[in-house]
Amino acid sequence: MSIFNFGLAMLGAFAAVNAQAATVAIVHAKAWTLIEDQPIDDATIVIKDGSIVSVTRAAVPPVDARVIDAQGHAVTPGLINAATQLGLVEVNAASETVDHSAKPGGPGAAFDIQYAINSNSALIRLARADGLTRAITYPSSGGVAPFGGVGALLHLVEHGEVLERPRVGLFTTIGNRSAAASVGSRAAQWQALRAALDGAKAAASAQTSPAKPAAAGVPAAASPAKPAVSVTLPGAVSAPPLDLVLSGKIPLAIATHRESDVRQAAKLASDYGIRVVIIGGSEAWRVAHELASAKVAVVLDPTANLPYSFDQLASRLDNAALLRKAGVVIAMSLDGVQSYNAGLSLREGAGLAVANGLPYIEGLRSIISAPAEIWGANDRGGTLAAGKDADIVIWDGDPLEPSSLPTIVLVHGQEASQLTHQSELRDRYLPLIRARASATQARP
Amino acid sequence: MKRTFNSWSVGIIVLAVIATASATAARRTPQFALDPYPSTYQPRPRTDTIIVGVTILDGAGQRIENGEVLMRNGKIVAVGRQLERAGATVIDGKGRWLTPGVIDIHSHNGTFPMPLTSLELTASDVSEISDPNVADTWIEHAVNAQDPAFSAALRAGVTTIQILPGSTPLFAGRSVVVKPVPAVDVPSMKFPGAPQGLKMSCGENAKSYFGEKNKLPNSRQGEIALVREAFARAQDYRDEWKAYSKGSSKKPPPRDLKLDTLAAVLEGEIPVHMHCYRASDMAAMLGVAAEFGFRITSFQHATDAYKIVPQLRQVGTCAAVWSDWWGFKMELLDAIRENAVMVDAAGGCVMMHSDSPIVGQRLTIEAAKAAAAGRRIGLEPPPEHLIRWVTSTPAKALGLGDRVGTIASSFNADVVLWSGDPFSIYSKADQVFIDGALVYDRAVPEGYPRSDFELGRQEIGSAP
Repeated sequence: MSIFNFGLAMLGAFAAVNAQAATVAIVHAKAWTLIEDQPIDDATIVIKDGSIVSVTRAAVPPVDARVIDAQGHAVTPGLINAATQLGLVEVNAASETVDHSAKPGGPGAAFDIQYAINSNSALIRLARADGLTRAITYPSSGGVAPFGGVGALLHLVEHGEVLERPRVGLFTTIGNRSAAASVGSRAAQWQALRAALDGAKAAASAQTSPAKPAAAGVPAAASPAKPAVSVTLPGAVSAPPLDLVLSGKIPLAIATHRESDVRQAAKLASDYGIRVVIIGGSEAWRVAHELASAKVAVVLDPTANLPYSFDQLASRLDNAALLRKAGVVIAMSLDGVQSYNAGLSLREGAGLAVANGLPYIEGLRSIISAPAEIWGANDRGGTLAAGKDADIVIWDGDPLEPSSLPTIVLVHGQEASQLTHQSELRDRYLPLIRARASATQARP
Repeated sequence: MKRTFNSWSVGIIVLAVIATASATAARRTPQFALDPYPSTYQPRPRTDTIIVGVTILDGAGQRIENGEVLMRNGKIVAVGRQLERAGATVIDGKGRWLTPGVIDIHSHNGTFPMPLTSLELTASDVSEISDPNVADTWIEHAVNAQDPAFSAALRAGVTTIQILPGSTPLFAGRSVVVKPVPAVDVPSMKFPGAPQGLKMSCGENAKSYFGEKNKLPNSRQGEIALVREAFARAQDYRDEWKAYSKGSSKKPPPRDLKLDTLAAVLEGEIPVHMHCYRASDMAAMLGVAAEFGFRITSFQHATDAYKIVPQLRQVGTCAAVWSDWWGFKMELLDAIRENAVMVDAAGGCVMMHSDSPIVGQRLTIEAAKAAAAGRRIGLEPPPEHLIRWVTSTPAKALGLGDRVGTIASSFNADVVLWSGDPFSIYSKADQVFIDGALVYDRAVPEGYPRSDFELGRQEIGSAP
C-alpha cells in the first residue's frame, strides 16, 4: 500500500480513537519501546483509559478493542522537546505576545512562567500534530542575572490545560552575550549563582520555620553564614527554587556553550551535590568525561556546527555522538525553531546526529526517553510500557527522516487533530491550485 | 541580459579610448550595470573525470539509473551510459547519487560573519541601514571571503551562492554570485559574468526600523510611495542618458549610483530579488513592477505565494521559499509547509532558499520536507523533479540557467556525488566538483578548506 493510501487508511481509523475509555489496540507495529535497543516487530499495543496496558509481539488484540493496523510502520512514544518556550511565545516580533521574560529588577530565580502558559497557542497545536506530546517550557530572563526562573513541564493534551507540572527546573544563562548585557563578566554571573546557592543553603540551615521566605535570586551578602536578603513575591509558593535545587528535587539548568563554562557547570554540580543540566553546550564534547562523571545532562542543538560566537568556536556535528559515547545523557532542542517547529525540528536534529555518529536508538532516545528522564516525566512518558500514558505516534516512515510524517498522534490515548491554522489555510487555497494543476501540463 | 551587459562593456571600452584622444566630448553609453570589479576566479586544477554506475538526477527532470557523466576541461561533455572515457579518471558511483551542485539563492555568508560579535550588532554588514534607499551599495564590497560558513556550504554540496543584502532597506543594494571556494577576496570567488541582482524588500522590516526613527517609511503606503518615486526618477535618469548617448542632448545627467542600479532594473539588466511575505504586499509590488515595466525575478521567502499563484505565473515571478519557518512575525503567520508543492503544482516557479548558514547546509533536506508536506494532498513530486528546486530553478533565476544547475553537455561541471539519496538526512556530499575540479573530498582527512580564522585554534578539531 503506498504511503498516501496508508495515510488515508489511518484517517479512516481516526474516529475509532476518540473515546478515551474505549480499548484500542495498535497491531502490526514496529514498536520502539525505548526500553530495549531493538524495536518489537509485529507488536500489539493495547491502550485503555488513556494508558498503555501492554506491548506484546504478535498478540491477538482484545475482542472489544478498536483495532488500528500500523502495517509494519514505526511506532514510537510521543516526542518530547527538552527546551522550548511553547505557550510563552506567539509572534516573536510582537513583544506583547511574548511572556518568557521579566524586566530587569524582576523576581529573578523566583520568576515562574506557569502563570503565563497559553494552552491555545497555535504553536502548541502544530507541535502536537507533528507528534510532540510533552515539552519543557522555560523562561529566558527573570530580571536578575543570571537567573531565568523556573520552567514547567507541559503535556500537550488537546482539551484542557497543557500545564502538567510547574517548577520542574531552575533556569539560568551564563555566557558572553548575557554577561555583557547584565553584570559585565561571566565571572560575575558564576559568582552570583554560587552566592545565591550559598545564601539559600545558609538560610535553610539557619531557619527554624519552614514557611520563612528565603533568597530568591538576589546575591548574598559577604559571608555565606549570613542569610541572604529575602524577596517576598505575591503568590510565591513556600519552597523557593534554590531550595528545590539544593535538595535535589529539581535540576539547575544552565544555558551555556563555552568549554570553560561547561567545566564550571560540572564543578558546580559536584561542589554543591546538585543536578545540573546544560542547555546548548556547543563545546560540551570537550568536557564529555567530566560531564558523565558529574552526571550532568546536556540539551543540545545538533545542527550547530559553526563558530557563531567566541563561546561556540568548537561547535561540531558529532557533539551528540561524542557526548553519548562518553555516557552523557543527551536531549535535543534546536535554536530558532524550538518553539515554532518544536516537534518537526527534533526529528531532523536527531537524524542529523545519527548521520554524524550517534547510534540510531540513541537518536530516538534523545528526543523521547532522555528528556523524560532529565525532567522527571519518565513516570508517565518516554517509553512504550504498561502503565505509561498512551502518548503514541504511528509514523509513515523512519521517524528520523525529515520526510516522514506522523499518521496518528495519540496524547493520553486521545487522537490529536491534524487540523491546524496551517492545514485550514492549505485547504482553503487548494481548490484553486488543483484547478490550475489540471489546466497545466503534467510535469515529469 | 548577459548580451546587453557585454555590449555595454564593449561600448565603454571603445569610447574610453576615443575620449582620451579627442577634445570633443565622447558620447558615453549608459553604464548602469557596468562591472568595474570583474571576477578574477580561476578554476582549481582538474583532471578529466568520469563518474560511473551512479543514479543521476540531472536537474532537467530526468533520473538515470546506473548512469555516467563525463567531465572534460571543466565542462560536462556527456551524460548517459557506456560513454567513451579515454584518459578520464574513473569514479565508481555505485550505490550513490549524482546531482548538479546545490545553488543557494539567498545567503548572508561573509556579511553575517562568524564569529559574530557585538560590533556587528551596532554596525552590521548585512545591510547599510542609514537610508531606506541604498541602491548604490554593493554587498560584494562587504563580503569576508574567509567566513567559515563558505566551507561549511561547500562541504554540504553547495557550488553557487547568491549573497545579497538584508531586508531593512527597501532598496538594499546589489547582490553578488560567488562560488564557495577558498579565497582571500571577493573577485577571486566571484562567478564570472554572473549578473548582479538588486535586493529589495516589502512589508514590516523597513517601516518598523525607519518608523521608529520617525523617518519615511513608517507605513506600507509610505514604502510603496518611496519605491515609485525612486523608479520615476530612474526613468528620467535613464531617458536622459539615452538622449545623451544618441546625441540628442549635449550633457549627460550627473552620475548617480543609486539611479544607475534602478535604471539597470528598468532596462532588464539587473534582476530584482524582493524579500516579501504577505500576499497583499506581493500584489502591491507586482503592481509597481507592472507600472514601471520591469519584472520582479523572485520574491524571497514568499510565504503567501500559494495564495497568489496566478498573479505570479502571469509575469513569471518565482518564489524562493523555506520548508517550514513561520510565525515569528505577523507577515509570516500564514506560512504553510505545502507552499512549495502548491505553487509548483499550479505551474508557478518555486525554489528553496536558506537565508541561514545552517539551513544552507541542508537545502536538499529543505526540499525533502517541502515535498513530504504534499504527501497528504497527493502533491509529492518525485526526486527528479524535486532536485530542480535547489539546482536548475535557482540557476535560472540568477541568470545562469544555461551554465549551472543542470547535468547536461556544455554545462559547467558543477556536480555533487552524494553517499546516498540526497533527500535523506543520512546522506552526505562525498565529492564536490566545481568547474570540473574536485574541490571537496570527504574521504580525505583534513581535506576540507579551513578558513583563516580557524587556524591554530586548539579547540577547533577537524570538522566531521
